Amino acid sequence: MALLEGSNLRKTYRLSKRNTVEALKGVEISIEAGEMVAIMGPSGSGKSTLMHILGLLHTPDPNHGPAPELRLAGENVASLSDNARTRIRARRMGFVFQDFNLVPTLTALENVLLACEYAGIKGKVARDAAIEALGLVGLADRADHKPSELSGGEQQRVAIARALVNKPEIILADEPTGNLDSDRSTEVLALFRQFNREHGQTIVLVTHDSEVGEACDRVVKMRDGRIRDSGLRTGTPVMAVPAATAPATA
Amino acid sequence: MRLVRDLGRRKLRSTLTITGIAIGIMALVVFGSMANKMNALIGGGSKYYQDKAIVSVGSMYSGNIQPLALSDVQKIESIDGVAAATPTVDMLLSSEGGATSMGTPEMITGSIPGGDKGLETFKIDLASGRELTAADADSKVTVLGSDLARRLNVKVGDKVALRDVQFTVVGIWAPTLTAPDKEAYVPLAAAQDLFVKSLPPLIQSKIVASDIATGITVYPQKGVSPETIKTRIEDLLGKDYTVMTGKDFDAMLGSFSAIFSLVLTGIALLSLLVGGLSTINTMAMAVAERTREIGIKRAIGASRWRIRREVVLESAAIGLIAGLIGLVIGAAMTTLFNDLGRESGNVLFELTLGTAATAIIFATGLGAIAGFIPAWHASRLDPVTALRYE
Repeated sequence: MALLEGSNLRKTYRLSKRNTVEALKGVEISIEAGEMVAIMGPSGSGKSTLMHILGLLHTPDPNHGPAPELRLAGENVASLSDNARTRIRARRMGFVFQDFNLVPTLTALENVLLACEYAGIKGKVARDAAIEALGLVGLADRADHKPSELSGGEQQRVAIARALVNKPEIILADEPTGNLDSDRSTEVLALFRQFNREHGQTIVLVTHDSEVGEACDRVVKMRDGRIRDSGLRTGTPVMAVPAATAPATA
Repeated sequence: MRLVRDLGRRKLRSTLTITGIAIGIMALVVFGSMANKMNALIGGGSKYYQDKAIVSVGSMYSGNIQPLALSDVQKIESIDGVAAATPTVDMLLSSEGGATSMGTPEMITGSIPGGDKGLETFKIDLASGRELTAADADSKVTVLGSDLARRLNVKVGDKVALRDVQFTVVGIWAPTLTAPDKEAYVPLAAAQDLFVKSLPPLIQSKIVASDIATGITVYPQKGVSPETIKTRIEDLLGKDYTVMTGKDFDAMLGSFSAIFSLVLTGIALLSLLVGGLSTINTMAMAVAERTREIGIKRAIGASRWRIRREVVLESAAIGLIAGLIGLVIGAAMTTLFNDLGRESGNVLFELTLGTAATAIIFATGLGAIAGFIPAWHASRLDPVTALRYE
């Protein structure tokens, strides 16, 4: 059973009364536990939209045709309430964004603690976990610094510590290296790779950087709201998923 | 503490908003204290008058009191339902006529100690010294109200001049917040002498001091209402006499109380409106500025409820801080005004714990309520859109 499995995922955004954008036109995707997967494609290909849906930040459109399905460890999470999705994001998922997105008034440690707080972990347990997570990204000595006192690479590592602290089932990263120079990019990628290898952390990265793609186990290629290449090869254990193009029926 | 840091992010705006609410709360505290004092004054009077009838000729409140004869006391005592009637002599302490002041004027009050036959329910505690007794009947001794004693700066054993006659202070009452605080209580005979001396010489010669009073306090028997007594006295003595009961007093001064409460409510509503709108504005701007941050928090698992709580708490903190500042300034002002006013006998403010607590709760509640609208808006933001917000 795949850790995260979606089918018939569609999303249309209404920009104005007459102007709508079909960002996802029916996507099937499957992510196995322990995989490190890159979702790649040019801008406007729907890769961010897909990540938002996989990360339960948005819900897939209820289709006219076959209903969308999104299964996290077998449980259908496609049509959960906002509160239920929020709880899953807090406890079972970790997020890393392009702009680091730390809370500017909080120190590195407090930013990591925020994720613990939302997951319902408090006190010394949370503190120990946060310090450990900062240690894992090599920033134990910067715990009391505010984001403005940290470099871009350091900020992103704090964000990774925040994503890791609750030992989530899956980490979703949206262009995590997009705002970093190549040395820092390599560092951050190496960190992801290390967590994936050493702890079996499942990671999904959205990127348009081919170097990031090369560092992953598998690259899912998107174009025009559809998956063009699921990156699955014959003989790999994840063959259960239909490869290549998804049905494009409306 | 995160909350305070968030407030500190926009110091000028927070300061302005806090100042706005603080001014409102300050006004609330000052006027509230004034209303407290006023209500204590009126409430005290109301309590004093409730179980008796006061007979006088002319109105005591227009200051146009004419003497009545002591023989009226015996007439009234013989009325069915009257338990006791005792003469009093009330006159302004100042010989220059009624000094304009808020509250009651300073008075000299004379009566027979024990004349109430133990029926007086309005008890005044002593702060020091002793009460007048029957043995004082022919002495020049006095018990002073707390405000008067403080203004004259005397203590028990000191001599004090009342209308140019020397009296020995034998006791000082504890504060009552109402009329007796400004009274000098003397034996009836002493008051009669002072009263006669205050009259024009032509009239003086026709009057025997020991035969007059300015009022008669009438205590009904148990189960007889003061109203009934009032009717009977009026029937007996005729229309020249004014009989005042608790009901009359309440009818006369109750409206004062009501107006004060109205003014207070008006000020409260104004500060509610101004402070509330200003807080809504501040918090709405704070939310707009923090759109991205709210997006991050929502994305990594903060529930809508948690976002709302954050904004409302911050808003309530603005109110609380403003409330505390307003209370401190208001308390300082009332204390200062009271100290200044004490010289002239005008103690106008009474800041009670209730008023202070009301001001703080009001300010905090106002902040919290004003936070609801921006909080609601913040909690409805789409995390993805909020994350992209520049």
